[in-house]
Amino acid sequence: MTLFFQATAEGLALGAVYSLVAIGFVLIYKAMDVLSFAQPALAVVGAGFISSLAVDRGIPFWIALILGILITGVLSLLIERTFLRPMVGEPVFSVAILTIGIDILLRTTLDNWIGLNPRYLGDPFPSFGNFGSITVSGVTLKYLEISAFFTAVLSITLLTLFFKKSKYGVAMRATSYDQEAALAQGIDVGKIFGLVWFIAGILASLAGFFITGGFNTLTQFSFISALRALPAVVIGGLDSIPGAVVGSLIIGLTQGYVAYFQLNIEEFLGFSIGSGFSLVAPYLIMFVILLFKPDGLFGTEEVERV
Amino acid sequence: MRGRPNLYTDYKKESAIFANLTQKFWFSILVLTSASLVFFASNYWILLLTTAFLISIAAWGINIVSGFAGQISLAHGVFVGIGTYTASVLGGIATTSVIGYQILGYELDMIIWLPLSGISAALIGLMIAPISVRLKGLNLGLVTLALVFIASHLFSNLKPITGGAGLGRKAAKLVLLGFDFEQGVNLGNFILEKNQLIYLLSLALCIFAGLGVKNLTRSKTGRAFSAIRDGDIAAEAIGVSLYKFKSFAFALSSFYAGVAGSLLFSVSGGVDPGTFNLLYSITFIAIVIIGGAGTVLGPLFGSLFYILFPGAIQTAMHAFGDTGQSLALSTGQIERIIFGLFIILFLIFEPRGLWGIWFRLRNYFKAWPFSY
Repeated sequence: MTLFFQATAEGLALGAVYSLVAIGFVLIYKAMDVLSFAQPALAVVGAGFISSLAVDRGIPFWIALILGILITGVLSLLIERTFLRPMVGEPVFSVAILTIGIDILLRTTLDNWIGLNPRYLGDPFPSFGNFGSITVSGVTLKYLEISAFFTAVLSITLLTLFFKKSKYGVAMRATSYDQEAALAQGIDVGKIFGLVWFIAGILASLAGFFITGGFNTLTQFSFISALRALPAVVIGGLDSIPGAVVGSLIIGLTQGYVAYFQLNIEEFLGFSIGSGFSLVAPYLIMFVILLFKPDGLFGTEEVERV
Repeated sequence: MRGRPNLYTDYKKESAIFANLTQKFWFSILVLTSASLVFFASNYWILLLTTAFLISIAAWGINIVSGFAGQISLAHGVFVGIGTYTASVLGGIATTSVIGYQILGYELDMIIWLPLSGISAALIGLMIAPISVRLKGLNLGLVTLALVFIASHLFSNLKPITGGAGLGRKAAKLVLLGFDFEQGVNLGNFILEKNQLIYLLSLALCIFAGLGVKNLTRSKTGRAFSAIRDGDIAAEAIGVSLYKFKSFAFALSSFYAGVAGSLLFSVSGGVDPGTFNLLYSITFIAIVIIGGAGTVLGPLFGSLFYILFPGAIQTAMHAFGDTGQSLALSTGQIERIIFGLFIILFLIFEPRGLWGIWFRLRNYFKAWPFSY
């Protein structure tokens, strides 16, 4: 039973991290009808900024963290202005491929900087030893995981408040509902696009920090973890923020359970499902769910005119 | 007819593979020049061109399913992989770690495994096809993305077939109708070596594949594909069977990929299952976009560009006496950055790709000295 709780705890923490990236995906998709494959790259680039500031430059961790996150937000804003703006109104798929191009650019530059050795992201509490952990009745909880969970909850709450109460949040909702009508009402849609990318960049880099922080370290393969937010979004539905959160939790928990119970599953099935299956399981789930619900669990069904 | 090359008096003439004698003439000149390159070009360029031809076959495949039929597939590299492994199991040498299929102590002939690798990829493509009937647009792209990860997991874990991640296996042996490519052919004093023979083989396959695509565009099937791309509900309403044609598009595209994959790694000798990752699949999409999606010549332009451009960069760097050490980025990284940039720039400035540039150039000279 301890194993089960351990898997659940880790799964929830993972899910929380994925949900940060996933919400960025959904925000961009809702506002601009763009599926941004660059989001996972932004997450690791954010981690790269933090590491470079905190470790290479020796800036105090907390300042480096905030600076790194803001820089990623601005970078994401710049990407929108330079590459995405000329593509407004183009077919969805062309823009998606364009973001793959951005992803290649970002990651090649980052990989070159990372090199072969893993990069650490700095540590605000040296006494704990890389964020440390506590043990609650046999279940080891890393502080990093706990803080990831609470950061995600906090971000989601703040975002919800932002959409409900703030002027820009309402403008954003209006834009995602109908761009032209929003424009006619005096909303600066271009500004909203920029703001959406800025927020998405911030969320991505937060996730990037939790993916690569502590002992996880930033390597050239960290990107693969961030990319797993994609099945989460798809499961939840591309245009639903609650869907993104639920999808992320499903993905996180699946990954946690499969990682811990792979031996039992293999025993049950009677054949080996291969090492590292927990990393593929999310995609398998996405595959199955899309077959039954093509628009995801919470997504609105697409109505098409001929 | 003379002097009025754009006057078509019947539909059959307009839809002919070669519109007029001039095109036929230049096409044969092009084929002859490419074939005679084996006598002139250095081994390095021969290898690059061989790869480019094979990649263009695979790129035509994804152009059929994405460019003509409008079904987004991010998993094209997977089908290339299936072709590769079918070929290496049927025509490759068995070792203690990997299996190979033998009859009377000999590996199977290319005449058997080349079509079979295409067919096996096509069968897997057919299995994917029902999904494409149910989903469309981005969602289909995302499902195929899942396929990439599932397939690369399988590839790295099916050790008897693929050799396992990081180790890989040898690709198929090139024996065509009992003739081993390793032996080479003597033409007087000139010896055609293995690489040059593969070059000729891939050139021939590339021509066949290209003519096949051209032929497809003028057939009923090709028109059905375009109808599905331009509006699948409308296509269904006028009697195009979505299930049938989407499945056919996937099968045909996978067949092209499989055939390309079966030979692609025989050039370099071995294949590692890690090759068929997400980036590999995306490469094909990028090639089609750079070349020009939905056109016949586009994928060929795109893959020539994709393969020869790095070669050109390296030649240029050697010419400047630079071995690449002094730069901040390695040549591979420069290639990838330029590649990424080209995807972006082509999508923004020339969505019709290299073919679009070619089209405008051709029209410019056709109408010269007038600008209209």
